[in-house]
Order: sequence, then C-alpha cells, then structure tokens
Amino acid sequence: MKILLVDDEKKFAIMLSKRLALRGIDVDVVFTGEDAVKKTEINRYDVAILDVKMPGIGGIKLRRKLIELNSEMKIIFLTGHGSESDFKIGSAEAACYLSKPLHIETLIKILHKVAG
Amino acid sequence: MNNANDIQNNQDLAFFGKINANISHELKNILAIISETAGLLNDLTVLAEKGKKVDMDMFRTCSQDIEEEIQRGFATVKQMNTFSHSVDTSVKSVNLLNILKLMINIAGFLSYASKTRVNPPQDAELMILTCPYQLQHLIYQVLVVAFKTTGTGEEIQISIYPEKNGDVRIIFSDLGELYDEKFPIDKIFAIAASIDVKIFIADDFQTFDLLIPEAIKTVTMMGAHD
Repeated sequence: MKILLVDDEKKFAIMLSKRLALRGIDVDVVFTGEDAVKKTEINRYDVAILDVKMPGIGGIKLRRKLIELNSEMKIIFLTGHGSESDFKIGSAEAACYLSKPLHIETLIKILHKVAG
Repeated sequence: MNNANDIQNNQDLAFFGKINANISHELKNILAIISETAGLLNDLTVLAEKGKKVDMDMFRTCSQDIEEEIQRGFATVKQMNTFSHSVDTSVKSVNLLNILKLMINIAGFLSYASKTRVNPPQDAELMILTCPYQLQHLIYQVLVVAFKTTGTGEEIQISIYPEKNGDVRIIFSDLGELYDEKFPIDKIFAIAASIDVKIFIADDFQTFDLLIPEAIKTVTMMGAHD
C-alpha cells in the first residue's frame, strides 16, 4: 500500500510517517497542499491522509484536486479541531475522518480497510 | 438579543470562545506531536528489545523533540492564562507591546496566518490606560483581516509610533487590499469606538492605522457607535 500524508505540522507528519514505515507502509510525506498535488501528479497513491486546516490549499479543497488526478485514491481527513461542523464536512467528503491524536494500530486497520 | 448591551456581550463572548478554540487547537497539535514521538520511541524500544539494530540518534532526536514541544505547550498555556485574566479589570494600565505580541502569537495559530514583523520604537514607554480585552479584540480582528487580505507566504509590517501627547499609533502595512464586503470592517470600527481608538485606512486600502489614546476612563457600548 502506498500512501500520501499531508500535514503542515511538520514534526507530527514526520513522526507519523516513520511509525507507518516501521509497519511496512510505503508513505510519502509533504507539508502543503501544493506539494501534495505535485506528488500525486507523478505517483499512484492508494490512500491520502489530509490535514483539514492548512495554509494555502486546505484539506477539503485539496481532496477535490487529488481526486481529479486519481479518482481511485481514497481520502482520510485528519484534524486537530474535531469540531462538529468539521466532522460533518469530513464525513461527507472522505472515506474516513480522524481526530488527532491518533492510535497507530487503529490507523493501520483503517488504512487497510479503506484501501480494500 | 434585545439591546446594545446584549450585542456587546454576545460579541465579547464569541471572541473569547474563538481565542479559546485557537489555543485548544494549538495544544492539541502539541499533544499530537508528543503522542506520535513517544509512540516512535516505544516502537524503537520494542525493536531494540528484539535485537534489531536501532539508530541511537533517533532516541536523542525524539527526546529533544518531546522537550521542545513541552516548552511550546508551556508557552501556549501562559498565553492562554494571560488572555483569560484580561477580563479581570475593565480598564487598567497595560503594556501595549505585550498585548500586541500576545495577539500576534494567538492569531498566528490560524491556518491562514501571514508572517508578521513588529517594528517597536526604541526606549519608548508604551503603557496605556485602556480596556485590555477590547484592545485585544480590536488587534485580533485587524490581524484576521490583514492575514486574509495578505496571504500565508507574505509578511505584514507592524510599526508602533508613540505620539507626543502620549497616544500610540500602530500601523499595519504591506497588506493586501483591505476593502472587501466580506471583511468585518464595521465590526472593527465598532470595537475601536468602544475604547476611543481612531482608525485610518490609506487611500490604497493597504495600510491600517490605529491611533490608541494614552488613557480612557470607561468602555463605550459598541452598539452605540452605529
């Protein structure tokens, strides 16, 4: 499984990507929506994990751009907010909506489930 | 909502809630980093116990990262505490630079925040008698508009000039064009009026100038401005 992790909290994204890599998941990590688009133009990802609130292109808008590039890619939204309105938007537009902090084993199960 | 008092109470409460949401989001990010870093330390420990070769620098880096995030957390909690106590007294003597920096830090948690550069005066006394809560509210709203017009990659200049009569001028410059119906300019004028702050917007709509009086006696109802 190849996944793309997009979060402007660099340390969080790097740590999470290392933990996923230790569990055998092939993960690319970027810190902006713009870089996520560039990565998706040249790579075929099974799943993208997107932070909802980011400078520049936020997660909701980014999802639409990424799906245009790869309609089969599954999207998981990630947020530090976890507000009710965020949850409604996230639930409607993504395969899954997760709130930080994450439990790594739960995330792994979700990744396998959404990737099919 | 029946009168100006209700409107002001509602707007004050909304601002308090907004700031608390910003700070709690920041704290959640910090805790998420600590959680993932501690998780990685645990993963590495499990690997080491199984006899796998583990890079010792990773342990050091993780420990340092956790320490840095804890310090970031302490700084954030201190900001939250300072903000929360700003409602204790309606009018009091405050250091304008400290209030400005606090609001820049808290507004900086917003995902669309621009960079800021503060140009304080040399050796100037910046103590003023005002309502700290309303002044924070005003500065925050100006920053929000400034960020939205300017963009995340750009830098806003914030210059402070003490006037001879003791008033202080704060000029937000290098902004995008301020005039836009979706921005709460009326709200900003109302908050400013409640603490006798005068606002000047440059002809090119790219500079926001606040003239803050050295002293006010009372806070005027925001609804009375309109």
